[in-house]
Amino acid sequence: MWDLRLRRWRWLRRSGVDERLQTIWAESLPKRQRLLEDVVFLVCDAEMSSLNPEEGEVLSLGWVRVEGGEISLNSARHCLVQNQNSVGQSATVHRLRDCELAAGGSLEDALAALLSAARGGVLVFHHAPLDMAFLNRAAKRCLGGPLLLPAVDTLALEKRLMERREQSIPQGALRLQACRERYGLPAHHAHNALTDALATAELLLAQCAARGPRLRLGDLL
Amino acid sequence: MTDKALGEDPAELEDVVEFLRGSLPFNELDDENLADAVATLRVSYHRHGERFDVDSPRPGLRVLRSGAVDIRDQDNKLLDRLGEGESFHIGGLNAENGNVVATVIEDALVYRLPDEAYRELRGKHRGFDRYFSGQRSRRLRRAARFQPEPHALLAPVRSVMTRDLLTVPPQASVHQVAVAMAHRRVSSAFVVEDEALRGIITDRDLRTRVLAASLPLDTPVGEVMTPDPEAISADESLFTTTLRMTQRSYHHLPVLEEGRLAGVVTTSDLILARRDDPVYLVQHISRQHSVEGIRELVEGMANLMVHWVNGGMPAQQVSQLLTAISDAVATRLIGLAEEELGPAPVPWCWLSFGSQARSEQLLGADQDNGIVIDDRATDEDLAWFRELATRVCDGLALCGYKYCPGGIMATTDQWCQRLETWKETVRSWTRTPTNDAVMRVSIFFDIRGISGEATLADALQEEMLKQAGKNSIFLAALAASALGNKPPLGIFRRFVVDRDGEHRDSLDIKKRGVLPVTEIARLHALARGVVAVNTEERLNALGKGEFMTMVDSRNLMDALHFVQRVRMQHQCEQVLAGETPDNYINPRKLPRLAREQLRDAFTIIDEAQSAVRQTYRAGMG
Repeated sequence: MWDLRLRRWRWLRRSGVDERLQTIWAESLPKRQRLLEDVVFLVCDAEMSSLNPEEGEVLSLGWVRVEGGEISLNSARHCLVQNQNSVGQSATVHRLRDCELAAGGSLEDALAALLSAARGGVLVFHHAPLDMAFLNRAAKRCLGGPLLLPAVDTLALEKRLMERREQSIPQGALRLQACRERYGLPAHHAHNALTDALATAELLLAQCAARGPRLRLGDLL
Repeated sequence: MTDKALGEDPAELEDVVEFLRGSLPFNELDDENLADAVATLRVSYHRHGERFDVDSPRPGLRVLRSGAVDIRDQDNKLLDRLGEGESFHIGGLNAENGNVVATVIEDALVYRLPDEAYRELRGKHRGFDRYFSGQRSRRLRRAARFQPEPHALLAPVRSVMTRDLLTVPPQASVHQVAVAMAHRRVSSAFVVEDEALRGIITDRDLRTRVLAASLPLDTPVGEVMTPDPEAISADESLFTTTLRMTQRSYHHLPVLEEGRLAGVVTTSDLILARRDDPVYLVQHISRQHSVEGIRELVEGMANLMVHWVNGGMPAQQVSQLLTAISDAVATRLIGLAEEELGPAPVPWCWLSFGSQARSEQLLGADQDNGIVIDDRATDEDLAWFRELATRVCDGLALCGYKYCPGGIMATTDQWCQRLETWKETVRSWTRTPTNDAVMRVSIFFDIRGISGEATLADALQEEMLKQAGKNSIFLAALAASALGNKPPLGIFRRFVVDRDGEHRDSLDIKKRGVLPVTEIARLHALARGVVAVNTEERLNALGKGEFMTMVDSRNLMDALHFVQRVRMQHQCEQVLAGETPDNYINPRKLPRLAREQLRDAFTIIDEAQSAVRQTYRAGMG
């Protein structure tokens, strides 16, 4: 956490960091020893037009909040983003078409909404490095700086759990649906960023439950 | 889209909406109300073993998205078992039934409709509200059904018999008897002479022995009655009565008080009273026309066992019933196979071995079966039996009787043979009692014909007794095996229990407590040529035949009953907890008294083993 604090400070010394980002940074970071039921998680998923952050763009964002160990469906949000370039062939993966995205909002607004929902909390992704790379790139462009928020990765958690049990990890075993099956979670059909975010949030709860009570934030980072 | 609009309203979660639309009573709600309800939901994940009671935080209606939950009352009795799409409100249940607890028996993803939203919906929607008032009475009915009826099957037959009997003298004509039966609307009449029961005549007898045989109407009933019918004492339990009637296919049984005819009991008297009666179950198994139908009936067996044990039924009777159900399943599967394969080319008999043969089955029994075929069978004829065996064994497996890991099944060619081949196999075992042979004997020598020509099974058993009884070397080898499993008396000093694997703090009560008694009884029975295979019957016969003192025989029986009861209660608790029943008990968890009694039981078994050592292995070390 001190690392995030230091990098925030460095970015703030430059000018041009958006006010909305500054507001979030002004919040204190959750402590590693905080009990999980006292931590707010914002579980997110992003759909992109390519897997390469250099050339792809964010097409949609979805998220739900986890508070007190429960997912609150009231917090579920789904933002479509107006794209600069055509989605091209990637439409077959995320099923978002140019005409739908044209009705979406700006990336800046979507990021700002995500930031305000994440206030005081910890971000969660299934495969965080990819989503974070896209979001940081977008945030630097729209808000003058990277997100610099703590993030938990359910994929990395699952990998660690399996390695600890000395299980071999076959191809595809860490995909979201494969992970969910291991906890008896119902089949989930990838539709959009929001349903994937909800599916990831359920996986997070199952992973935490499997590791026993009185878990602390540091156990997940 | 404006800044405000983005991220202001909850997004629609179609999957959740669709799921709730398919769950009672959310199906009552219109789209708008359903969307509102979804927005208030909280999702949580609960591990196996987690409990919800009236004091649990976060009240509300909990809908199971996946997993399973048991609802039990304060006596730990199962009121309901919920699965996907079903819901419970622990506060509401408690208001009605008192101290109800919900326990997660399979990891569960739960949608919670918080109390406030739940009450608001009930206030707004009559259909939604009505479901919960209806659900309560349904739950209460279920609770009543699960109430144990103490000793219902142990009540004397006197309590259900009909005293209003139609008695006729043997000289009465069949016409007179038929008229009297029609007038009294009864299906049987008793032929009595000098106050003694001489015979019984039923509707069916009149049809088959009089009408179909074209006998004149003035035939005396004494000539067509079933003479000297078997009768039962009015003090016998309903259980014994029922068992005897089903085993021998009697529909009417005269009941005696102090040796004199006092009443009659019919199958319908016994069956119609209770739906969860094993006899009802057995009857329905015999009427199924598919393996699937049988499987569905047998599925409830675990709950039935809990019911019987809670009802105070002794352990040995519970296992007799479970065995009777297994017999019925096998018999019906054979019937289904025969319908497709046509009749058998030669006489044959389906054999069961081990615990099923001894009528000592509990839950989770493996298959141990075989086929003995008349010696006239040609090699081509054997193909029919192989086909039959495959169908029956596969059917048994579908119904939950696991394939025998050692391959002791009719599908193995060696155990699907002509009588002469079987006899030769038996002779080879007794000639050279290798460890392997002794192990096989302990399974095969407990033998019972289930379906088909019983004389073939009897002939095989006779050969076994003949070979074993005269062979002291073989008996000594068998005795060594019977002494192999020592009762764990040590546990009462230091609680030494099985140290390996997942059952580290527990002892295998089947291996250490039940099997030693079974083996001792088998050994003595083989040595003395006792035909019975049921352990209790064997001990009884041994005691009466003075091969064993009456006291020793009784003591061993009591020890066995107690150990079996502990084992059965353990399995019931596992069934209630949603676990797979096994034989591992943790002596530390037993109540003090039960622990003392278990020690007594083990001491008795230990002494019986010493006697075996002296009788069969004297001088052999």
